[in-house]
Amino acid sequence: MNLGHFDFDAGKYAVYVWPAFALSAAVFVWMIVDSLASARRWRTEAERRQAQAKDPSK
Amino acid sequence: MGARNNKNPFDFLANPERFMAFSRWAAPMFGAIAGVLALIGLILTFTVPEDYQQGDTVRMMFIHVPAAILASFVYLCLGIASFLALVFRHALADAAAQACAPLGAAFTVLALATGSLWGKPMWGTWWVWDARLTSVLVLLLFYLGYLALRGALDDEQKAARAAAILALGGVINLPIVKFSVEWWNSLHQGSSTLFAKSEDRLPAVYAWPMLVMCLAYLAAFGSLWLVRIRALVWRRKARALALKAAEA
Repeated sequence: MNLGHFDFDAGKYAVYVWPAFALSAAVFVWMIVDSLASARRWRTEAERRQAQAKDPSK
Repeated sequence: MGARNNKNPFDFLANPERFMAFSRWAAPMFGAIAGVLALIGLILTFTVPEDYQQGDTVRMMFIHVPAAILASFVYLCLGIASFLALVFRHALADAAAQACAPLGAAFTVLALATGSLWGKPMWGTWWVWDARLTSVLVLLLFYLGYLALRGALDDEQKAARAAAILALGGVINLPIVKFSVEWWNSLHQGSSTLFAKSEDRLPAVYAWPMLVMCLAYLAAFGSLWLVRIRALVWRRKARALALKAAEA
């Protein structure tokens, strides 16, 4: 296996190769952001409700 | 032997508190593993020589095949979690099923889109209605149907049961996806991974990057699945507390 140099030149296939990688990156970004945002949102909400249950004045 | 030793080893995850304690460190750990593997996989992807027939499009194999494998694997997880939720009425199994559906749909979209981008220069077409492509499209429809059903009914328990039944029905499609290239004539190539016949197997120069990328996708799924289950556990907790407050 030659790991000596990177080959980013996809030549005539660049129009297919790069969109495939860009789309994969975009979908992964969406999966990560959506999962973390959803976890954060519901964690905050659960903690707020719990604090409210302990101290109704909050 | 104490009763403790007779317990199913997965029982400890069935308890939401124990699951939350486990996933608190397991989710970032899988995420870190996924990041390292993805970095190694991408270095390998862009340093392997181009294929003598497919040229540089061979690099798409390292993102298309893992996405396709995960599309089916996540559905298998969805099917198992739905079965456990339906039979044992286990809330955490239901959360696990609900959490993996959007991820599975995303992997299926990636498999179809990257396959299409690979298909155009190699086959001369973006899409053909052959058995492999059509069965993967059906897989996507099962994911979307599951998500739509969960969102369509106001009664969450009814929605969960209906969606679980749909998910179990869709499991029939998994062997069709897997064996479609053997059962029918297909434009799509047959399996060339570790389990393929030796003459069809990928050469090591391509097999290693693909294995690393498959493990990266798998670790990423593991991490995100746990994060989404945690979100659903908190959501249920928040809703239960809201209900309790409303009743008080």
